Amino acid sequence: MNKRLVGWVIPLIFLGVLFFWPLVNILNRGFEGDWAVHLVDARDWQITWFTVWQALVSTTITIALAVPGAYILYRKNFPGQRFLRTLITIPFMLPTIVVATGFTIFRDAANVWTDPIVWIIAAHVFLNYALAVRTIGSYWMSLDLQTEEAAAIEGAGRLRTVFSISMPQLRPAIISAVASTFLYCTASYGVILVLGGGQVQSLETEIASAANTLLDLPKVSALSLVQTMLSVVAFGISQTGGRANIGIELGEHDGQVKPVDRRDWLAIVITLPVVTLLIATPMFQIVWKTFTEGAGFVQNFVNLTSLGTRNVLNISVLDASLNSFRNMLISASIALVVGVTVSYLLAMPTKKRSTVLVNRVLDVMFLLPLGISTVVLGFGYLVTFGGYPLPLRETWLVVPLIQSVMAVPLVVRLIYPALAALDRNHIEAAATAGANRWQSFWLIELPMVRFSLYTAAAFAALVSLGEFGAASLLAYGDQATLPTVLYSLISKPGGDNYGMAMAASTFIIALTFAVVFAISRENRPEVQPKRNGLA
Amino acid sequence: MPAQGGPLTRALLNEEGTKVQKLFKTAVVAVISSLALSGCAPISEPKTVVLVTHDSFVISDELKQQFEAASGYELKLVKAGDTGSMTNKLILTKEQPIGDAVFGIDNTLLDLAADNELTTSDLVPIDFADVCLNYDIDWFAKKNVPVPENVRDLTLPRYKKLTVVSNPATSSSGMAFLATTIAVFGEEGYLSYWTKLKSNGLKIVAGWENAYFTEFSGSSGRGNYPIVLSYSSSPAAEVRDNGKSQTASIRTDCYRQTEFAGVLTGAKNPVGALALIEFLKSSEFQGSLPENMYVYPIDSNIALPESWSKFAPAALTLVGEELDVAGNRKAWLKAWSALFE
Repeated sequence: MNKRLVGWVIPLIFLGVLFFWPLVNILNRGFEGDWAVHLVDARDWQITWFTVWQALVSTTITIALAVPGAYILYRKNFPGQRFLRTLITIPFMLPTIVVATGFTIFRDAANVWTDPIVWIIAAHVFLNYALAVRTIGSYWMSLDLQTEEAAAIEGAGRLRTVFSISMPQLRPAIISAVASTFLYCTASYGVILVLGGGQVQSLETEIASAANTLLDLPKVSALSLVQTMLSVVAFGISQTGGRANIGIELGEHDGQVKPVDRRDWLAIVITLPVVTLLIATPMFQIVWKTFTEGAGFVQNFVNLTSLGTRNVLNISVLDASLNSFRNMLISASIALVVGVTVSYLLAMPTKKRSTVLVNRVLDVMFLLPLGISTVVLGFGYLVTFGGYPLPLRETWLVVPLIQSVMAVPLVVRLIYPALAALDRNHIEAAATAGANRWQSFWLIELPMVRFSLYTAAAFAALVSLGEFGAASLLAYGDQATLPTVLYSLISKPGGDNYGMAMAASTFIIALTFAVVFAISRENRPEVQPKRNGLA
Repeated sequence: MPAQGGPLTRALLNEEGTKVQKLFKTAVVAVISSLALSGCAPISEPKTVVLVTHDSFVISDELKQQFEAASGYELKLVKAGDTGSMTNKLILTKEQPIGDAVFGIDNTLLDLAADNELTTSDLVPIDFADVCLNYDIDWFAKKNVPVPENVRDLTLPRYKKLTVVSNPATSSSGMAFLATTIAVFGEEGYLSYWTKLKSNGLKIVAGWENAYFTEFSGSSGRGNYPIVLSYSSSPAAEVRDNGKSQTASIRTDCYRQTEFAGVLTGAKNPVGALALIEFLKSSEFQGSLPENMYVYPIDSNIALPESWSKFAPAALTLVGEELDVAGNRKAWLKAWSALFE
């Protein structure tokens, strides 16, 4: 117990100083005012309901499309599959501001369904499709396929096989995908901000506008409370039902998968339009606009070293990218160190009831940053870290630090289950052979969960790269990040600005595609935590 | 046999660490000492002056160098969002301000700034702009439709689906227009006017830039709406090769936004801040305002560029000066939002 306590010191100081202190500081200012009225206000309830409703609809559609997608892209194989898998992954990597822009262009080109809600939901499906397909697909691949095959031989149709045999087995993966998609959609900010045009409000945008335009801190505090409850409930549901790994799958699998055949027509009919229309079209539109908008294709890229027409930027897009890259490295490193420590401590075997209980509480505590609006936390930083005793606000470290706080829950969610599922035999054998804790952790446990580590590192990096809410408050002047300069360019069109935003987005799309495609070449099987052994 | 201590404590305490442990130790020491350094830097005479301003602030390199040479201070800009969110940030951080001086607090936020004692003395006016409707002259000539004469005309059937404005909840020009309608139609009449606008196909977008540069037919975006909420100065930017402006503003019932500057309470460099405010009032900076920020200098002795006196004179009639925008903002927006969400 003692050793465990000592281990918790650093993670708890980290969370206490960088999360709870600023959070309590800002929420307290609101709770001094008349915050309770917002819990009974009709409009605020309507906004809460809309947040839940759009997340439910987005999640339902995403999962309905992802199951056949996972089947075709993971359970089967066909030429060009790796290309398509890479293609569907790009949306997940893009800053949401870019996604929202892609859909704005799509909407204006299609000129149907002027209702912004339709496009918000479409963008949410676009963003979460890859995550759901990969979560379900990689789990599906790891399942024993004999039952399915036996059913097929017995003459069961493909649909019947899927519904009566595969789906029940996929339950944990589907629930896990549902929970993460739902969480992403309730916390969505950039998409609703841009596609809603200020006329559609979710909890997240309402909190941001209460803070930014009205300085209505009681409202900020009340709605933050509601938002946190929502996330905790969603998380609770995912914990009871879902055990599958959220995964960026990294490679091809063993020889189990069979080529696509004629009987897969339904899955193909569903997946083909999703991939071509929903996923490829918005990205194509962005690339196309790089040619047609602003100063022309080449000049748009050259302009990325400028401050834009009317000098709307403080620093060039290029400099902002360098900031983003630096922030990403630092924030992902911090998140990994803290997250792995927390996971390790949570996964340490224990039989004491009190320790189990304390672990549950700590588990939820380290999850809370997921359920808090980044804008609220950003305001907390503004008021807390201005001077004595911790003048973080004046340093560039503030942005990577706040982003690492947001990434820690994701790292813990990925590493903790993997560590907990490890076969203790190896560790005990190592201890018998004279290895100390550190050696055993470093040489045995970490390598055994290395695929989860890669995924966690990738997620932590993505959180930092795409993070917008907090950066828009804290990264001013020469500290602007890629998403904040992109937002400036997109929200202030005219002259060369829009063309520059398109060029930068095209660059991100191309880079993401190249990186994901290259990684997926190596033959690295995704290790499911439940079957983790010495790989 | 389990060894003593968790991995991290061991990493920190263990004398004979592995390479990784040493690396980690160095990293921790580096982070801690950089935090400590930034906190405990010796207090010296400030060499920079930090101006907090809104995103639309523009200063030319020449003027910046001119100020720096004359004052001896390096000028650093903190662009803190639009006018409203900049002011809110300043209020939230007033105990430890994010800069030395502020530029861009407008007349609607003056009382709020004063109540919070944001500045050490009264804010001084620097520039003004008139929020007026603009229209695309070519479009109306081609379609042979008479141009609207005032705000009331926008609800006429012949202007159906022709107007785009920015959202009052997310843009200051939008808020100015909401105030305009309240001044013209009164608290009891403005909502029914907006209802009529809505059924007459009014388009609402998030920001002024979206409305003007993307949706408006008379500017670079060549959008579908020939009437846009903009500024009386905008037509000066739309002068074509034939020497004429493609657009004009409707100069009645406009709302004047005046922008102010001041020295922030608790500034680290109040002397530099004061020098900066004086510079903003100087004829050099005042003269740059039309070209750089498309606003009128507050100093009436400054001559406007030729294209401005020709195509972009200030408004003829102003409304809404008596309204308490800051005080009523929340209630107005709530009523307005109920209509449009």
